[in-house]
Amino acid sequence: MAAPTAADFPSEVERLPRFAPSDLEAIVALRPDLVLATTAGSDPRAIARLRELGIRVFTVDVTSFDRLAAACREVGRILGRSAQGERLAAGVEACCARAGAAAAPLPRRGALYVVWWEPLIVAGPGTFHDDLLHRAALANLAPPGAGRYPRVDPELLLDPRLQVIVAADEPDLRSGFARTETAPAGARIAGGDVRVIWLPADPASRPGPRLPAALEALVAARERMERQGTGHGAQGGEGAQ
Amino acid sequence: MRRAADATLVLVLLLASAAALLAGGPAATPAEALAALAGGGSPEAHAVVVGLRLPRLLLGIGVGAALALAGAALQSLLGNPLGDPFLLGISGGGAAAATAAFVLLPAAALGLVPAAAMAGAAGATALVWWMARGPLGPSSTRMILAGVAVNAAASAAILTILSIAPSPRLPGALAVTMGSLASASGAAVAWLAPYLVVPAFVLLLHGRDLGLLATGEESAAALGVEVGTVRRRVFLAAAALSGGAVAFAGVIGFVGLVTPHLCRLVWGQSTRRLLPRAAVAGAALMVLGDLVAHRALAPAELPVGVVTALLGVPFFVVLLRRTS
Repeated sequence: MAAPTAADFPSEVERLPRFAPSDLEAIVALRPDLVLATTAGSDPRAIARLRELGIRVFTVDVTSFDRLAAACREVGRILGRSAQGERLAAGVEACCARAGAAAAPLPRRGALYVVWWEPLIVAGPGTFHDDLLHRAALANLAPPGAGRYPRVDPELLLDPRLQVIVAADEPDLRSGFARTETAPAGARIAGGDVRVIWLPADPASRPGPRLPAALEALVAARERMERQGTGHGAQGGEGAQ
Repeated sequence: MRRAADATLVLVLLLASAAALLAGGPAATPAEALAALAGGGSPEAHAVVVGLRLPRLLLGIGVGAALALAGAALQSLLGNPLGDPFLLGISGGGAAAATAAFVLLPAAALGLVPAAAMAGAAGATALVWWMARGPLGPSSTRMILAGVAVNAAASAAILTILSIAPSPRLPGALAVTMGSLASASGAAVAWLAPYLVVPAFVLLLHGRDLGLLATGEESAAALGVEVGTVRRRVFLAAAALSGGAVAFAGVIGFVGLVTPHLCRLVWGQSTRRLLPRAAVAGAALMVLGDLVAHRALAPAELPVGVVTALLGVPFFVVLLRRTS
């Protein structure tokens, strides 16, 4: 077994040999029986090249929670550990069901998942972040048909339909937010009409079996926000750690 | 005929500017935008029009005018129709430095990216000038060759930086290289406007000298042009304009290259007459391009450099075919 250089969970990966996903020579040199890749972050040309070289590659589609559960089962089956795969998938589904039940009474609000503030880049339809918003009773205001992570007009932050912004809690994003909040585009955020929910960057930015934890954190943050009076007129961002 | 063309050019700029301020967006309808411009309207509409659209418009006017003016001056200075800030590596140097700063600087220091871009443009300018110097001073051919080399190095540097950029920074770093006016702010405009005035004035002042230089260095010298001094001043002024444009709008191609040619097709070859008109035409093209980039897929945005090329190339081809 070997893990990509960016992997940091579980802690056992620290003891595994590492490889850069772009380094095909290193992957081939490890002589893997199976390579697991994701549709979200893998270079399709690299995957095709590995297959041409006779290496078995399984691509996991994690663009929605349903697909994530299906991928858990499929990976379990491929690895000959169907029971473990089934347990993992059932855990994903149970988590989604709990989050869905908790989100059901919440009012549906217009939202954006911000990937970058300057320029403003958001998660579009067809991404797992879009599904994350949807399952937390949030309507994604990102434009359809403009790509998975489109760059959008900063005026969108002043759209009256926008009530909630979700972002991963990373230093770069916090810094960009601080500048945006004090700029004209951040007027509704500064005025408390738009609330910002900061999700833990890990797992919110990592499509995988731990993603349901981000969903639970988001729904919990929304419940707190609604209890505090829906956020309208209130100041500040909402942590979800 | 020329007066009618002048009036048309100014009218196009005014109409494009009005459209940029009033076109409906997600947060302000045209009526709300008009009310905000008149001093009324909701606070949100005021923030959209005065806080976002007006700085964006002013930045577009400044950047478009700067690029077109620099392109017109460099084409005359080098006696080469392909002369523009990109050919000489100035924009590339600025973009490479901006990309490096964006990837390497700590999050709290990302506000320094425009300063890095200007420093990169200045560094590329100095490098081109140094490489182009021969026993008789820098020649046009050597400057172009040096610019091509610096541009290639800058492109390689950008690609290297992007290939090793940490994934959270990659979307923003890519955006730096694609060019956009979306990050315009009142502070950026307040900083850039006085910075552009001096080099623009220098170029306009040397309009006659550039016209003579375009006919050949020897004949220009015979008519009293101090070729070395003019070349140095014009090159530095054009580089300063390009550096300012790259610093606040990223890499926007085509405007500096084609706008002067469009103007020559309408107003003739006189460089002195060309320079101010190229500045206004560059501003108009940039505002129109940004209007399309801003609104075509709203609220998604297109890279404005792509739009200026798509708008300008067909127009340029039609004019070229008619005059030929």
